[in-house]
Amino acid sequence: MSRFKMPPQIFRLVLLTIGIVVSYLIARQLLTPASFRDFGFYRGAALEEVASRPPVYAGKKACDECHSEVLLKLAKGDHKTLSCEACHGVSQEHAGNPDITPVKLTGSHCIRCHEANPTRPAWFHQITVKNHYTGQKCTECHVPHQPNEVP
Amino acid sequence: MLGAVSGALAGLLSAPAARAAKATVQKVFASSGAPNGYDPYKHKWLMCFDVDKCIGCGLCVDACKTENHVPQASHYFRTWIERYIIKKPKPGSDRTRGEVLVDSPNGGRDGFPPTVVPREEILKSFFVPKLCNLCESSPCTQVCPVGATFDTPDGAVLVDPNYCIGCGFCIQACPYGCRFLNPETKTAEKCNLCYHRITRGLKPACVEICPTEARIFGDLKNPVVDDRIQAFIQKNKVFSLKPHLGTEPRVMYANLDKEVR
Repeated sequence: MSRFKMPPQIFRLVLLTIGIVVSYLIARQLLTPASFRDFGFYRGAALEEVASRPPVYAGKKACDECHSEVLLKLAKGDHKTLSCEACHGVSQEHAGNPDITPVKLTGSHCIRCHEANPTRPAWFHQITVKNHYTGQKCTECHVPHQPNEVP
Repeated sequence: MLGAVSGALAGLLSAPAARAAKATVQKVFASSGAPNGYDPYKHKWLMCFDVDKCIGCGLCVDACKTENHVPQASHYFRTWIERYIIKKPKPGSDRTRGEVLVDSPNGGRDGFPPTVVPREEILKSFFVPKLCNLCESSPCTQVCPVGATFDTPDGAVLVDPNYCIGCGFCIQACPYGCRFLNPETKTAEKCNLCYHRITRGLKPACVEICPTEARIFGDLKNPVVDDRIQAFIQKNKVFSLKPHLGTEPRVMYANLDKEVR
């Protein structure tokens, strides 16, 4: 039997295929970011990048450092589940520098939750604003931190 | 050049072993901006909802927009509230209910205006807050062509804003409609459980602000003494959204009506 001689065109095709595969592997090595595949099919450094954004809201615990007596009163009434910033707005700057005052409150803060709406659950205290002592501010009779105090 | 070639071949041959080794190495946040020492493998976050407690005030939608610098225009939301109004069936009909009306004016951000449906016609009505459902087999992470959206080891689903190419495939894929394309950065965006807050021990902005504790948030791997999630699951019958789609959403709702889509 004569020795098998690879035809030159097949040899060139094999070389070309190997060349394509190797250049793909090199390109993949160069272009993939360093932290890729750390946790899964994504850039592992993204976790730290997303987590490094500064928070905007201060949180109820931050208010407790200076205003603990208010929070104690709040904890006894129906507003105990409320966070301070739900009514007083973003208070991160105030927590850092008490001279900066938080948002000034108006009656619209109360109406936003307590306006009567058939979709609201029945256990929730609701008022029809136009039938309920119109023209007066809510705070003339109600104490927001101690809502169970009878007017 | 030779270094790159050998690196490539070494990478290819050792890839399975290297991946296994890295999986066991606990990666801990160590960079200067991120909360130091946070280990994503030691936490598993979850958010749940009690539909009977939601009053539709929209404070959560507003807080989320403020916290995450979401564009103010009315159709970009990471979380939103839907109002369901189920009308009574017509008198004499053999149906259990009438029409179901669903609305979400500006996502519920400014509260809900009184509805045009008179109270006598309403059979029942409730608010349903929604966000990313943290699916176990999420379609959105599967379709990303570059690996810019992913499930983290600690239960959140994040978008890598520096890697996303803005193709919008994940936005199409999510069946819950919780993703959108940010017009300023041209990348996909969605609720990420306020990842920058929870890694620092704070609660997500929406959970912080909610006045009625309709949103329950917790760490399944580190339950605190008065852990809310365990109590929530114990005391309520829980449901998930669109279970027929097979996405296995982890977010659970208590007292969810069958009409919720």
